[in-house]
Amino acid sequence: MQLSIKPPLTSKAYDVEDFAAAQEFFHSRGWTDGLPVVPPTEAAVEACLEWAGMPPDQLLGVEPVRTQPITAEKLAVNAVMAGCLPMHFPVVATAWQAMMKDEFLLHGVTSSTGGCAVMIIINGPVRLEIGASGTFNALGNSDRATSAIGRAIRLALINLMDLRPGEVDRATLGHPGKFSYCLAEDEEDMTWEPLHIQRGMPPGTSGVTVFAGMGPRQIMNEWTTDPKEILETFAAEMRANQLHYSIYGGNYVIVIPKQLRDHIQGAGWTKKDIAEFIFERARVQRGEWANVGKGSVVRDRATKVHPALQSPDDLLVVAAGGPAGGFGAVIPPWMGSKTRAVTAAIGVCVDCEPPKR
Amino acid sequence: MKVLDPTNEMKATGVVLSPRLASFEGMTVGIITNAKEGTKGYFTHLERLLREQGATDVVWREKSNYSAPMDAHIVQELTNWHAVFTGVGD
Repeated sequence: MQLSIKPPLTSKAYDVEDFAAAQEFFHSRGWTDGLPVVPPTEAAVEACLEWAGMPPDQLLGVEPVRTQPITAEKLAVNAVMAGCLPMHFPVVATAWQAMMKDEFLLHGVTSSTGGCAVMIIINGPVRLEIGASGTFNALGNSDRATSAIGRAIRLALINLMDLRPGEVDRATLGHPGKFSYCLAEDEEDMTWEPLHIQRGMPPGTSGVTVFAGMGPRQIMNEWTTDPKEILETFAAEMRANQLHYSIYGGNYVIVIPKQLRDHIQGAGWTKKDIAEFIFERARVQRGEWANVGKGSVVRDRATKVHPALQSPDDLLVVAAGGPAGGFGAVIPPWMGSKTRAVTAAIGVCVDCEPPKR
Repeated sequence: MKVLDPTNEMKATGVVLSPRLASFEGMTVGIITNAKEGTKGYFTHLERLLREQGATDVVWREKSNYSAPMDAHIVQELTNWHAVFTGVGD
């Protein structure tokens, strides 16, 4: 969309000699993730804003804990640095607005010693428009769009929220998803409802789901066609996470590749059926902590049951992955239900009042 | 080539600290913890020091979510105290 009057950008501008000088300039100020960045020129930033139909000073939100106001211009500067094309920017902006919701607990998830990353799941027609792929290498560097969008979120956290390691980011380990953690659902090759529709977005929209995710825990089961056996492997991985990492229930993402999907869908299972099965199977007793070296915190509650999901709706089932291989993934939450996944529709005002009748 | 500053130039406004107390003698002092295990020993020691220095009352309050701002009822209550200590532990 072309704005009729182009408001000026207000970011401070610096003169640098060339591309190489720009790299050293940005690295020396702690403005990067350690990799080269695209120099954010005025023209490139304006192109992002124009594509999204946002004036530079549009307030995308105020981070609730540190009361940091975030404008479209500043987010666009970081998106350009990450390698985003203008058409990627509406996805970045929507993800950022979703992250600012109180229930996401942005400050907690990004500053914690727990070291999770903000995962972005893209749904709807926008995936095809921007070339976001949910097939081969889906959780890796599958395509330009998901790589750049995920990186834009991380660079924006570094530069807009001071989330540099050892500053506000206190992660003990972190994980590689903190460079970029973005995934598109493979909607063309599934019979299931897309994630954003399942989570209440209107049909026909594109949507973004943000999730405070630990690193992916990969599973493999190529030796059965029974949905229950396949899903039992996912549930077992969730139980392992409960014992080895955090026992508390909350949102979990599971990524189901085509080879396993074909068996599950072929047997008539929906995402809801999967979530109900996993809800029943992914749970541990507190006493099991004693088997993994955590006996001292069992105390007098050995028989207390801890479900990995507080309800079946907590499970985010995502269809993604290359066409061959019985490899799936469980992506645990940062810390139980202290953070909640948030879904927002792209181009739809998430805070607007419904129209008066 | 001109490049733009990627940082937040619209920083949040800071807060103004209250006047410092001359002593803790006769004062009510609050301790707000994030409820993690590592805070207990530290703040217990701090309470002992405060009482040695004459604090009449030391009030402990725990945040309900260690990663979120303190609960509204604690914010309300701390207006009745003379001083507050807070910090995070793991």
